[in-house]
Amino acid sequence: MTAYRLSAGGLVDRATSLNFTFDGQSMKGLAGDTLASALLANDQMLVGRSFKYHRPRGIVTAGASEPNALMTIGSGARTDPNTKATVAELYAGLEARSQNSWPSLKYDVGALNGLLSPFLSAGFYYKTFMWPAAFWEKVYEPIIRKAAGLGRAVLERDPEAYEKCWAHCDLLVVGSGPAGLMAALTAGRAGLRVILVDEGFRHGGSLLSETTPIDGEPAAAFVDKALSELATLPNVTLMARTTVFGWYDDNVFGALERVQKHLAVPSSKLPAERVWRIAAKRALLATGAEERPLVFGGNDRPGVMMAGALSTYANRYGVAAGKLVALFTNGSAGYRTAADLAAHGIDIAAIIDSRADSTEVAPFGTRVIRGGSIVDTKGRSRLSGITVERSGFEERIDCDAMGMSGGFSPVIHLACQRGAKPVWSETLKAFVAPDVGAGLRLAGSAAGLYALAACLKDGADKARTIASDLGLLTSAAHLPAVGEETTASFTALWYVPGARSKAFVDFQNDVHAKDLGLALREGFGHVEHAKRYTTNGMATDQGKLSNVNAVGILAGMQGVSPAELGTTTFRPFYTPVPFGALAGTSRDEHAAPKRVSPLHGWAARNKAVFIESGLWYRSSWFPRAGEKTWRESVDREVLNVRENVGLCDVSTLGKIEVFGPDAAEFLNRLYCNPFLKLPVGKARYGLMLREDGMVYDDGTTSRLSDEHFLVTTTTALAGGVMSHMEYCAQVLWPELKVRFCSVSDQWAQMAIAGPKSRLVVQALVEDDVSNAAFPFLAAKAVTLKGGLKGRLFRISFSGELAYELAVPAGYGEAVADKVMDVGRMHGICAYGLEALNVLRIEKGHVTHAELDGRVTPDDAGFGRMLSSQKADFIGKRLSTRFGLTAADRMQMVGLKPVEKDKDIRAGAHLLREGAKPSTLNDQGYVSSACYSPVLGQFIALGFLKSGRERYGEKVVVWDRLRGEETLAEICNPVFVDPANTKLNS
Amino acid sequence: MASLIPCPHCGVRPKEEFAIRGDASLVRPDPESSDETWNDYVHIRANPRGRYREHWQHVAGCRRWLVVERDTFTHEVFSVTDGSVRAWEIGR
Amino acid sequence: MPHQFQERHALEELVSMNAAAAADHLAVVARQAIVVVLAAEGQEASVAALLTADEEISVRFSAPGEWLVVTGLQTPELLQQSLAALLRETAHCVDQSHGRVLLRLSGANSRAILAKGIGIDLHPSAFVIGSSANVLCGHISINLALVDKNSFEIVVMRSFAESLLHDLCEMGRAFDLSVFFAP
Ligand SMILES: [Zn+2]
Repeated sequence: MTAYRLSAGGLVDRATSLNFTFDGQSMKGLAGDTLASALLANDQMLVGRSFKYHRPRGIVTAGASEPNALMTIGSGARTDPNTKATVAELYAGLEARSQNSWPSLKYDVGALNGLLSPFLSAGFYYKTFMWPAAFWEKVYEPIIRKAAGLGRAVLERDPEAYEKCWAHCDLLVVGSGPAGLMAALTAGRAGLRVILVDEGFRHGGSLLSETTPIDGEPAAAFVDKALSELATLPNVTLMARTTVFGWYDDNVFGALERVQKHLAVPSSKLPAERVWRIAAKRALLATGAEERPLVFGGNDRPGVMMAGALSTYANRYGVAAGKLVALFTNGSAGYRTAADLAAHGIDIAAIIDSRADSTEVAPFGTRVIRGGSIVDTKGRSRLSGITVERSGFEERIDCDAMGMSGGFSPVIHLACQRGAKPVWSETLKAFVAPDVGAGLRLAGSAAGLYALAACLKDGADKARTIASDLGLLTSAAHLPAVGEETTASFTALWYVPGARSKAFVDFQNDVHAKDLGLALREGFGHVEHAKRYTTNGMATDQGKLSNVNAVGILAGMQGVSPAELGTTTFRPFYTPVPFGALAGTSRDEHAAPKRVSPLHGWAARNKAVFIESGLWYRSSWFPRAGEKTWRESVDREVLNVRENVGLCDVSTLGKIEVFGPDAAEFLNRLYCNPFLKLPVGKARYGLMLREDGMVYDDGTTSRLSDEHFLVTTTTALAGGVMSHMEYCAQVLWPELKVRFCSVSDQWAQMAIAGPKSRLVVQALVEDDVSNAAFPFLAAKAVTLKGGLKGRLFRISFSGELAYELAVPAGYGEAVADKVMDVGRMHGICAYGLEALNVLRIEKGHVTHAELDGRVTPDDAGFGRMLSSQKADFIGKRLSTRFGLTAADRMQMVGLKPVEKDKDIRAGAHLLREGAKPSTLNDQGYVSSACYSPVLGQFIALGFLKSGRERYGEKVVVWDRLRGEETLAEICNPVFVDPANTKLNS
Repeated sequence: MASLIPCPHCGVRPKEEFAIRGDASLVRPDPESSDETWNDYVHIRANPRGRYREHWQHVAGCRRWLVVERDTFTHEVFSVTDGSVRAWEIGR
Repeated sequence: MPHQFQERHALEELVSMNAAAAADHLAVVARQAIVVVLAAEGQEASVAALLTADEEISVRFSAPGEWLVVTGLQTPELLQQSLAALLRETAHCVDQSHGRVLLRLSGANSRAILAKGIGIDLHPSAFVIGSSANVLCGHISINLALVDKNSFEIVVMRSFAESLLHDLCEMGRAFDLSVFFAP
């Protein structure tokens, strides 16, 4: 046993033991542990295999930058791959599994890749798997996928709930370490609305492993006091377990809150995770700094960790990563860890300091090798010793863990996510954030300050600046007294020369120093090229540990400063965010709202089969007992409407009331046909064009009074037409006195169609609906028997004698029931969208299947509707352009198969008889097709070159998708009642 | 894009409440204008990097058409005004 | 033969009748009168003044020169008539009593519930009592008004009411939101 739980110390609850499993093995941890600290306490240093070479890997960090300790956590459908053990909070019953190892963590077959490593160098994907192309899918990819890859996503449906939420504040503080906590206190006391966010499950950041006393007390006690004060401030919101992952336009931040990922049994009332959109007037990044690894031979051996992580495990979690620990440092941080470990009684094998002239003092009795470097490490799946080189002499030193400290990089990701380029600081030997404006500032270590007192002061100062920005005066903050600190410093060291084995830069993607050299030699020296060529920084950790070292190495090889080389681009997300969380509640029935017709209940009672139509659920057909296919139901409904009467829900059509002295003029400019002289009490069919001359939408418009119209639109474009009308009224013709309002939801509307419809309507309404009193295209307010007010329109989509009756939506179902009631003696039936479609195809009426945006009024047979009298209307000018008036345009025609039992389907192409089936010989297409029970055969509407001149001619209907060719006769698109006798009867 | 748009009628709103139409500097030509003028108006669009005035409709709010002046590169929004005001300004 | 027609609420079978409300509660208003008032050109200010002076009605802002007038005290017909008498030629009044559904969300957590769907700042200092606005709630446009300290009224299009109800229930799950028809 090497790693172990210390007998005392740390912020773990030693009274609360938690059982968990790792790769099926039972282990015990303590409340307050991360999975990683608990694993270390169980001496489990080996946690995974690397991506490419399948080398054994151990825990490296104690935080979000962890490249190795990625676990699959949970079981069944509640399984999360790629979870960082270093941030995952331990809970009782947690099940963790290592990744990338097959058949087991200890004996990994893929480690063979290590032997093949000369062939797996940088760019190997691009080189090796290029040829032959067919091999990629069948050979290379399956092998790579099996042996490599990170954790696997489960295939089961994700049972977790997620949600999204908005938050607003004056100041968002990201990170609750010394700077963040002081900033929140200062701003909170000043009365700002503050949100303090920390990715850890416990607020305090680095203070939780800090050994320097604050105000004479342990730092953790200072954190507790600060948090209890913040909790009493109603203007402060504390959010732990929350990672701010992105900075977006207008100072909106994205954050992921892990609401109950730390619970074995989640509450069904709460989401697993919640995405926050935080609109912050100001933000302060107090995200700290990241310690950098050192790039030396064998630096990936399990047991080689960040020095700061060793301190954190000892100070915060009471865990020693080893019994005899070596430290390799280029600055003061290594000495600080040595002191921390020594204080816990952990033996220090040696401190290897890359600087020959350093002056830091090591704990009493510790051996310090100044000017030395590590060139190799020993051990199989666990570090057993290091080879140290100094002045040409080599020495083997035994140790079972070691810490490396290569200096610090401020964590500036968020500040640089909106295009700002990080700036190289020669003083800090790190990339720092440039000035990104008043909306976002950085404080503490994120701003390059590494002393505790300086961080506390900076947090308070920046908060005061922000408060005064927002017009609030604050008194000077009381700054807590901090015990004596050593000054932090380091000397840049990007690569430790003399490596005897691979010196890794990116642990997660297995990129080593030589790969970067190869990239440079092969012409990929630009930092963005090198990244992609070597995949350095492209793993899920996005190079949090590796990027700066890679830049340093590449810069060094080219003899330039990192400032010249620059760094790669920071983009959201800072750490991975599950797709489920981004979708929030927008899935399944919540993916889009469902619009419900006021006649929905009536249709359901009549056993409608519903179909999604945009957001609506419309009744599609109404099956009756004994009907085996939808066609049987639809045929019956169609015939019944043609012979008797039917009732169809048309409430989903858009309805817009238009008011004002210029209402008629407005509509006259909106439609291509004239509206000025439409009489009161009359409806007119109207065509709206787009400005390019193509048909946009159609519908009937009724004049209810001189300055009051009712426009109807198709269901599909109800929203679009409303916006279009608003654009015309507000932007194009603001001088017109016109107002409008959608009344689509106010009215339930039903089509009552068929030769017996008048009998039914007359039984319902007080008003005279005879042909004389209420002729075709009449549109009037009516009173239903019993007093209910409605509107009645003599319009017909089916081609039959028909009425549309509108009543206030709440009465819709009752009225529809009554229509069925009084219609029973006339043989009424409910009919749905499918029958409606057949009826209108038989009548040659168009829908958006025909008016698909490529069709002019003339194409669809409405050429005479284009008003030449009007000075202007939308689409007038471009309607006259050459291409839109050419004689060989495709015109709407009817089609009937020559052999009566053949069918035609929409989407098929039209070819001249005898022409080779090819789109080169395309003459047109089928837009709508159906079986016509009236004609007893399939019929279709289509568009055909010069079609109207070609009635009687035969064309081939070529359905390339189904490999069918059907001979059809071209005919007039009005199959039923071309003389309109039924309509006008 | 921008995350938040200050509607002159409704206040600051998330971008999801808006729909973009495009260039607000276009003036609908007289019906007698040349083919070229109309072609430019209907079909030809600049795609500038930098300051740009666009028509946005506050669809989920006041439903007014607005002129949003913004930077297509930095996404900064300089001003948002009602579209009819702009229409009057350009002299119709 | 005169016909008697039964009015049906859009949420009739989805919501039960009044029972004990939880601390956070969504009341579905069974009957209300709602009229959209569109001020005629140039009459915006005078219409606004006339509407706000009337204590029997509640006026909700939707757009410049456009308001929703909401009342539980009058029938749609009476509201329509009284508005016509009040505003005469200065405005067009469109009855939407059937086209809209009125919901009242109240409780200490009402803001936390709404924040899951609504992007505007609902802090009492930002959205004060008497404020109203058309806003997006999830995928659905609504008119939101703060009518009391922790009490919001929502006006939604009838066809979207069922989806909004489901959304609000989902948003209120953590707070045991109760839903009943208002008495
Ligand atoms: Zn607005």
